[in-house]
Amino acid sequence: MQVFLTQILNGLQLSMLVYLLAAGLTLIFGLMNILNLAHGAFFTLGAYCGVVVGSLTGSFWLALLVGPLLPFLVGVGLQSMVLQPLAERGRSTHLDLALLTFGLLFATAGAVEWLFGSAFLSIPTPVALSGHVNLLGISYPVYRLFIIGVGLAVAVGLTFVFDRTLLGATLRAGVDNRAMVTALGVNINALFAIVFGLGAALAGLAGVIAAPLTSVYSQMGITIVVETFVVVVVGGLGNLRGSFYASLIVGMTNAMSQAYLPEVEMFAIYALLIGVMIVRPQGLFRNVERVG
Amino acid sequence: MSDEVTIARTSTTTREAITLATEVRRATLVLAASAIVGALALPWLSASYATTLAIEIMIAGIFASGINLLVGATGLVSLGQGMFLGLGGYGIGIGTTVLGLPLWLSVPGTLVVVAIMAAGIGAVCTRTRGVEFLLITLAFSQMFFGSAIKLRLTNGSDGMSGIPRPDLTFLGLNGDNPVVFYYYVLVVTVVAVAAMWRIVESPFGSVLAAIRESERRASAMGYAVSSYKVGAFIIAAVTCAVAGILQSQYTYFINPDSMSWQLSGEGVLMVIIGGTTTVVGPLVGAAVFVLAKQGLSILTTEYMMFFGIFFMLVVAFFRNGVVEALKSALWSKP
Repeated sequence: MQVFLTQILNGLQLSMLVYLLAAGLTLIFGLMNILNLAHGAFFTLGAYCGVVVGSLTGSFWLALLVGPLLPFLVGVGLQSMVLQPLAERGRSTHLDLALLTFGLLFATAGAVEWLFGSAFLSIPTPVALSGHVNLLGISYPVYRLFIIGVGLAVAVGLTFVFDRTLLGATLRAGVDNRAMVTALGVNINALFAIVFGLGAALAGLAGVIAAPLTSVYSQMGITIVVETFVVVVVGGLGNLRGSFYASLIVGMTNAMSQAYLPEVEMFAIYALLIGVMIVRPQGLFRNVERVG
Repeated sequence: MSDEVTIARTSTTTREAITLATEVRRATLVLAASAIVGALALPWLSASYATTLAIEIMIAGIFASGINLLVGATGLVSLGQGMFLGLGGYGIGIGTTVLGLPLWLSVPGTLVVVAIMAAGIGAVCTRTRGVEFLLITLAFSQMFFGSAIKLRLTNGSDGMSGIPRPDLTFLGLNGDNPVVFYYYVLVVTVVAVAAMWRIVESPFGSVLAAIRESERRASAMGYAVSSYKVGAFIIAAVTCAVAGILQSQYTYFINPDSMSWQLSGEGVLMVIIGGTTTVVGPLVGAAVFVLAKQGLSILTTEYMMFFGIFFMLVVAFFRNGVVEALKSALWSKP
């Protein structure tokens, strides 16, 4: 029973980490129709930025604050200077731009390896979050609870922004009818760039908070991004709420298979994905709403 | 009177178009013939290094041809074809070293097994389209990649070695000789490309083109669209498996890296470089890619970074491919 409880918490922690990536990927796809295969690159960039800031200042909290900034800037630049102009020149947003970001994913991994070498780096766990806490009869690391908290906070925050603010209303309108939003005087390109940047920043945030737990290496983004794709396809591409539930399903499947069926660990989530594809090719939550 | 002028003008343009088409066909034949003569003569003309490169180009070209049947002919972009390359290699690896079967049984056995697996995988994948198709093919290949790393039977991440080359002693030839192996690969390449050309030009190929242009119209015309898509998926998979068999014979070795995401991406890159509209495009793309990779590996060890940058530049500026660019440069009359 205690092992099971630990596994549930581990599953929640994995879910929330992947959710931070899946939320950004979903926002970008829902609004701009761009499948950003380079989303993992922002995860790597955030983690390395965090490692550099952390080792220079010795402060985890500063790393957490500054880490997502670099992915944000790269994301805004990528959307406004590369993807948007190409889309305006008539490139298919679906496939051409997806393939371009595929190149970016590997270019980033290569560039990071060139700059930092292939050593495994890490950020030390902050003192305030180290140690264990007693919870329902088990001792559980505080830091993992912190990750669960961050994920839930982001989920609540995004839902609030989407449902209750002007920015959220503009975004929802932009998904429904881009031309109309432009006609109403909204600079849709600036909006796109900012949303792309925010999605990238969320991935960067995930990179920083994953750093004390797992090792930081040049190809870390490539590994996690495939898992994120499973989440967004299971949840229905472009469905923010669906991506939250799908993160939970995928994270739990991952944690449970690691604990109880280590032989199938490498492909449990893919089997899940294939099952979903057979029953509902459009994803489990596609018909609810597209974004929000 | 203006009508007559128009008619006269149209007939000249038609005649010009016909002469142009004949010229194009003649030029293509001349090019193809000289390419084959050149390929036959290559081992006598150059150092063994060039022969090795040519083998790599042809194997990559077969792989890219398989991908192009999906990407170019049917309009389905797959990022998971590496799984079939790997399955081909693992198939004969298991057949020859684990089961101890001779090659003449292992090779057709592998191709049949790959075709059956591709039918199942294709039936699931082709339920989606566009980016979802791209993601699910990727997920399948990651699943096989993960299994290959874990599986004891195939030696996990170390891979299998000792995969035999064809025994050609009845012809008095030794398959381990690079020149003999070169001709073996050349024959397979010519057969594969010719078969691919026949498929694309056949009524089956026309239906695939119809699906690419408008799936709804094709299905409204009464074609069983999903069976055609699964059919294309199977042929593409078997072609990629052929490349995988040759690759593993060439290196006497197969490991999980051949199923990696990056390898599937390299195949798609070759297709884009070569252009999706012609059958020889993937071969040209493979040649450009293999030569560029060789050049890069001499200049730098940071292959992955340049692979990524190269990929981005090709997609951004060269989307229609080298063959298409050459065609318009050679035959566009001012």
